[in-house]
Amino acid sequence: MPSPLLPSSLGSAEGRNPPVVRRPVIEIADLDFHYGTSQALHDISLSIAEKEVTAFIGPSGCGKSTLLRCLNRMNDLIDGARISRGAIRIRGVDIHQRDVEVMELRKRVGMVFQKSNPFPKSIYENVVYGLRLQGVRDKTRLDEAVETSLRGAALWDEVKDRLHASGLSLSGGQQQRLCIARTIAIEPEVILMDEPCSALDPIATAKVEELIHQLKLRYTIVIVTHNMQQAARCSDRTAFFYLGKLIEFAPTKDIFMTPSNPQTEAYVSGRFG
Amino acid sequence: MADTSKAPSFPITKRRLRFFGLTSDELVQLFFRGNAMVSVLVLALITLFLFREGLEFFGQNQQNLQVYRRAGLDYVDHMRWQEQDHTALNRYLLDVRMKVMADLTGRGGLSVEAANQRLEAFDQYSIRFDDAIAPLRGLVSELSETASAIKTKYYINEDKRTERRQLLAAGRADEAARVEVIQVDFARELEPILASRDAYLAINRDLARELQELASAARAVPGVPVERMDRFGTLVVQYVGGFPQIEQRLATWDYREDVSLLRSFSAFIFGRQWLTASFWQDWYGVLPLFVGSLMVSMIALTLAVPLGVGAAIYVNQIASPTEQRLIKPCIEFIAAFPSVVLGFFGIAVLGEFLRSISGAAWLDWVPGFPLAERLNALTAGCLLGLIAVPTIFTLAEDALQNVPRSFKEASFALGATRLQTIVRVIIPTALSGIISAVLLGLGRVIGETMVVLLCAGNRIEIPDFTAGIAAFFQPVHTMTGIIAQEMGEVVRGEIHYRALFVVGIVLFFLSLTINFTAQKILRRYRQQPL
Ligand SMILES: Nc1ncnc2c1ncn2[C@@H]1O[C@H](COP(=O)(O)OP(=O)(O)O)[C@@H](O)[C@H]1O
Ligand SMILES: [Mg+2]
Repeated sequence: MPSPLLPSSLGSAEGRNPPVVRRPVIEIADLDFHYGTSQALHDISLSIAEKEVTAFIGPSGCGKSTLLRCLNRMNDLIDGARISRGAIRIRGVDIHQRDVEVMELRKRVGMVFQKSNPFPKSIYENVVYGLRLQGVRDKTRLDEAVETSLRGAALWDEVKDRLHASGLSLSGGQQQRLCIARTIAIEPEVILMDEPCSALDPIATAKVEELIHQLKLRYTIVIVTHNMQQAARCSDRTAFFYLGKLIEFAPTKDIFMTPSNPQTEAYVSGRFG
Repeated sequence: MADTSKAPSFPITKRRLRFFGLTSDELVQLFFRGNAMVSVLVLALITLFLFREGLEFFGQNQQNLQVYRRAGLDYVDHMRWQEQDHTALNRYLLDVRMKVMADLTGRGGLSVEAANQRLEAFDQYSIRFDDAIAPLRGLVSELSETASAIKTKYYINEDKRTERRQLLAAGRADEAARVEVIQVDFARELEPILASRDAYLAINRDLARELQELASAARAVPGVPVERMDRFGTLVVQYVGGFPQIEQRLATWDYREDVSLLRSFSAFIFGRQWLTASFWQDWYGVLPLFVGSLMVSMIALTLAVPLGVGAAIYVNQIASPTEQRLIKPCIEFIAAFPSVVLGFFGIAVLGEFLRSISGAAWLDWVPGFPLAERLNALTAGCLLGLIAVPTIFTLAEDALQNVPRSFKEASFALGATRLQTIVRVIIPTALSGIISAVLLGLGRVIGETMVVLLCAGNRIEIPDFTAGIAAFFQPVHTMTGIIAQEMGEVVRGEIHYRALFVVGIVLFFLSLTINFTAQKILRRYRQQPL
């Protein structure tokens, strides 16, 4: 499938046909993004497939987080941040339209952050937070949600005896899985993960990665990572960004085995970044 | 340090300039340590001074209460209170008359003369009621004079004793010898008072009989509402029912009984009167001042907590940067006002304003409205609230600022609205910080002096809490206010002077407790945010 490197394709994503993504959930088209006057993303177009793991890789500051945060409009919280061109469609709906209810969008597109950030509440309350926001009061429903979500986040066995202990009393890896449990408790369609393992030790990282494999069966996952092996291990497709531009987007094994772009190759082989 | 006379093989020592054997580093350290020590020392000295000046009060008050008993004032007071209770009943009758009068001339459309005519029988009754107390009143005033005289005599002799002691100390023995001091013999002096007992009992018997008659005649008095007169009858019967108890107390009264230090202490803490420079007897009861301080502070907090915390939440969580830049300095600027200026504003503007709106018709339902006094607990409380706002605002804003941004992001990412995020995550996380902000605001308010002195109305009396919410519209006096007001006019070392110091100690402990609690809450919050 990958064509040999052609001189004309150097430095651009058009060198190869963008991968045909079946049943795309998210479609990003010609996206430009600005923080105030500085442009952080240049003309990004890519599609994210259902129930796959899509990884964003690239050197620091290349705009991975920015793009990720566009997907559930977390950038709305930042003054001066705006999309200046293009559109993001999730299941065909432009999420930046005026009549989009951001809260509803975020219920469908959950997010796990780089630094684990459980609320200073009990484990139980952390998990049911999103449900309580939606006005769920039924105790049995909440209890069920806690168990399924914690099981889903592979944390249940470790915490089932102390659900009412503070979420902050958990270890770093457990906290991150608690954040994942909290996110899946409201049953989103898409889960965005921004370097979820960068603050974790290798064992905790392995657990989260294993979790990602399971989550893939039910959710569409977009993960930003610094860790090349992680992208290789977890993801189905990988997008490589550099200086706010999408350089290459292809099935993961192609990106790592036969990158079509020399910059991609240089990055995945560890020569810069 | 190392000996530098011979060249070392491993040259790492250096000759340093020394002052008094200290290097410059050590000098700087000493300077800072000195500064810290001075602060600690000054604090210790102030505390020590406060206690040294204050604690002697209790001994003096014990003496004060002892003389009160020895000189028979205590004895006479029992009768005096009996007389005062009668006066209160008299006031009840006056009130009945006023209401009826207003009714007759107002709705009834009668002329004043005609109305007076209608009330002729009632007036007769009132006069008879008033006359009944005359014998007791005579006796009380007679005995009061005697008791006062004994007390005066005692104190004059005490003064002389002091004078002689001072002269002796100054080595002027002959002058000292000329100062004549006698021992006041209370037993003999009290004889006339105690001898009056039979006369008192006789008077009491007549009084009881007369009042009983009046009580049963009460409901038959024409021209006034029967229910009110019925009530009056009951009150009179109750009043008369208390006579035997008074007689009993007088019978067992003994001037030799000692007043304990504990009694002196409880008379201060639970005393309901703060009465100084009186002709009869001085009382130093902190309760009315304490209640006044507390009430004013409560009003202030009721106002300042929603304002301060609300503003902090708004500025920290909702306001745009421009608004933040505008609001924050404005609120903090309130703190820059000298409180005397605020007090002035309170007298000139706020008091007047509150009184005029309290007169508005649509506020008629509020008990105590329209306000009788321009300066009262409410006026002072409102201004104190204003003073507490910057403290509460600044500290609460700090607490909110300390909530990690990641909590907010996590909440939003789970689909929360801004309001939900504030209520469910931000405020609970910052809660201990907010509580301690409120406590420190309370500390600020309790210690505030100028505003309460100017605006609280300065009536030394426990507000009448039976009036319900209207109690908050009565003038009060406060602990800080009384110190500021009276400290200038007392003689150093005197009981009154020391009493003010004890009030200071009470304030000191109150502030200490509040600050300590606030610190404790803050510390717990820093250690384990939950
Ligand atoms: N809040 C912000 N305000 C202004 N510039 C930002 C902000 N966040 C990120 N940037 C800039 O946008 C670019 C992309 O940042 P980011 O998306 O965080 O990169 P990555 O996640 O790939 O490391 C960087 O140059 C960064 O400096
Ligand atoms: Mg990033």
